[in-house]
Amino acid sequence: MTSTIAAATAGASTASPSTPGSPAADYLVLNNIAKTFVARGNATTALSATNLTIGQGQFVTLVGPSGCGKSTLLNLVAGLIEPTEGTITLGGAPVRGTDRRIGYVTQADNLLPWRTLRDNVAFPLELAGVPVAERRERAEFWMHRVGLSGFGDAYPSELSGGMRQRGNIIRTLIYGPPVILMDEPFGPLDAQTRIVLQDLLLSIWEESRSTVLFVTHDLSEAISLADQVVLMGTKPGRVIRCEEVGIERPRDIFQIHEHPVYRRLYKQIWNDLGAQVRKAVE
Amino acid sequence: MTTRPSLFDPDSARAVFIGRLLLAVSVLLLWQFGAGHLFDIFFFGKPSLIAVSIFTDIRDPGFYRDLGVTGMEFGMGYVIGGFTGIASGVLLARWKYLAKLADPFLLALNSIPRIALAPMLIVWFGIGMSSKVFLSATLVFFIMFFNTLSGIRSVSPALCSVAKIQGATQWQIFTKIMLPSASSWIFTGLKMSLPFALVGVIIGEFMVSSVGLGYRLNAYATAYNTSAALGMIMIMMIIMMLLTWGANALDARLMGWRDGGGDGAAAALKA
Repeated sequence: MTSTIAAATAGASTASPSTPGSPAADYLVLNNIAKTFVARGNATTALSATNLTIGQGQFVTLVGPSGCGKSTLLNLVAGLIEPTEGTITLGGAPVRGTDRRIGYVTQADNLLPWRTLRDNVAFPLELAGVPVAERRERAEFWMHRVGLSGFGDAYPSELSGGMRQRGNIIRTLIYGPPVILMDEPFGPLDAQTRIVLQDLLLSIWEESRSTVLFVTHDLSEAISLADQVVLMGTKPGRVIRCEEVGIERPRDIFQIHEHPVYRRLYKQIWNDLGAQVRKAVE
Repeated sequence: MTTRPSLFDPDSARAVFIGRLLLAVSVLLLWQFGAGHLFDIFFFGKPSLIAVSIFTDIRDPGFYRDLGVTGMEFGMGYVIGGFTGIASGVLLARWKYLAKLADPFLLALNSIPRIALAPMLIVWFGIGMSSKVFLSATLVFFIMFFNTLSGIRSVSPALCSVAKIQGATQWQIFTKIMLPSASSWIFTGLKMSLPFALVGVIIGEFMVSSVGLGYRLNAYATAYNTSAALGMIMIMMIIMMLLTWGANALDARLMGWRDGGGDGAAAALKA
């Protein structure tokens, strides 16, 4: 089952997509994407024909039960795996393999254990050949931004899960890719830390307005953060529908549950999501 | 909570130290005064005689010549074995075809009991230092090779993927992710190889030598000078302990990142 979604651009620009300088409505396009994995003679369709159009500067969340293909979708966009069918384009040009324009914040922090926090955060800059002094300075800036000042010399094994994940996030933010993929970055964290980090993430995002594709299983997180919520289903993994979140920004994450639009959306999507979750565990 | 000053409290550094001291002294005394009465000096030696023998050795210039030769053989065997082992491990980790090719041969070679090679050593290398260096190096080589190979193969693919996404080249992934990741294994291998390197040299000296600590030990033993032989064994023991202590100190400095904040057992349960 296919569904074509044209995502409206968030923010103020009303210029047509072809006007240079304005955010493109079809910045990141997944065209008829499908992925089948073959293991030990069995073929599993992780994702069936999926179409998705994401505008530049949009914050889009993907929500769905396990097995709906959301992580597969992210890995396809990141270029880690090749689609069995279909193409992915970014700003008109096809995405083949990994691309430095597309950053990826993984669910596990994946910090290099033998490096200090600062050296971990500065790693992408080091890969690009940025000189040491500048690397350190930028790393310090970002660590300060997320409340990790003073921990620069600590090793990951000495930090808490929340701190490590913050380190993971700024490790991607530091080199400013225009597209940022996030795979349940706040998943392993406790509820309070999660809300604080969601708030922090939004305030950082407001400054840069990169295009974000954020995967979560938590519907409340999906609605609170996004301009567009994409609901995914399982068996087969696919996009079911897309809902625009018409809540003005900047948002108050701590109070957003009271917002009438939030509650309406939550009810609307929850039923479908619940059906998919039940289907997933059948 | 009351603190019981117990003699057997394992958490008290003081109690443990005193316990160890008592244990050492009682064994020594038993040995010293039991020799000749409870057991035969011929078989077990006597601490006082052992001490005399050690002091005699220390004042013998020949001892230092032997120490030097053994030391050099050990050093060369360790370095050559280590270097070739690591290089081979890296090479075979990098090129899968080579690895597949070499696999059964290496398995076969490694299965040779090293001691079985000893008689051939004279034929191949003569009675000079090279036979001992070779024996020692083969022991170290296989440890370092397998450890390096396993270390590189055990690199988390997730770490490599993350680096790739951030724009790392193949070479950068190899040098900045795979090698450091394998360093833990490699370092463990280096520590493990120390006693093996020494054993290789000593055994080589038993079989085919006219100098060295092993030769000296063998000379004492075959002359039935038990105390002198035990003295030599103790000297080797001390050398080995110093090397191990040095290696552990280096380990603590270089590999501190592995363990994290002290609470090991409890921390392992948390995500």
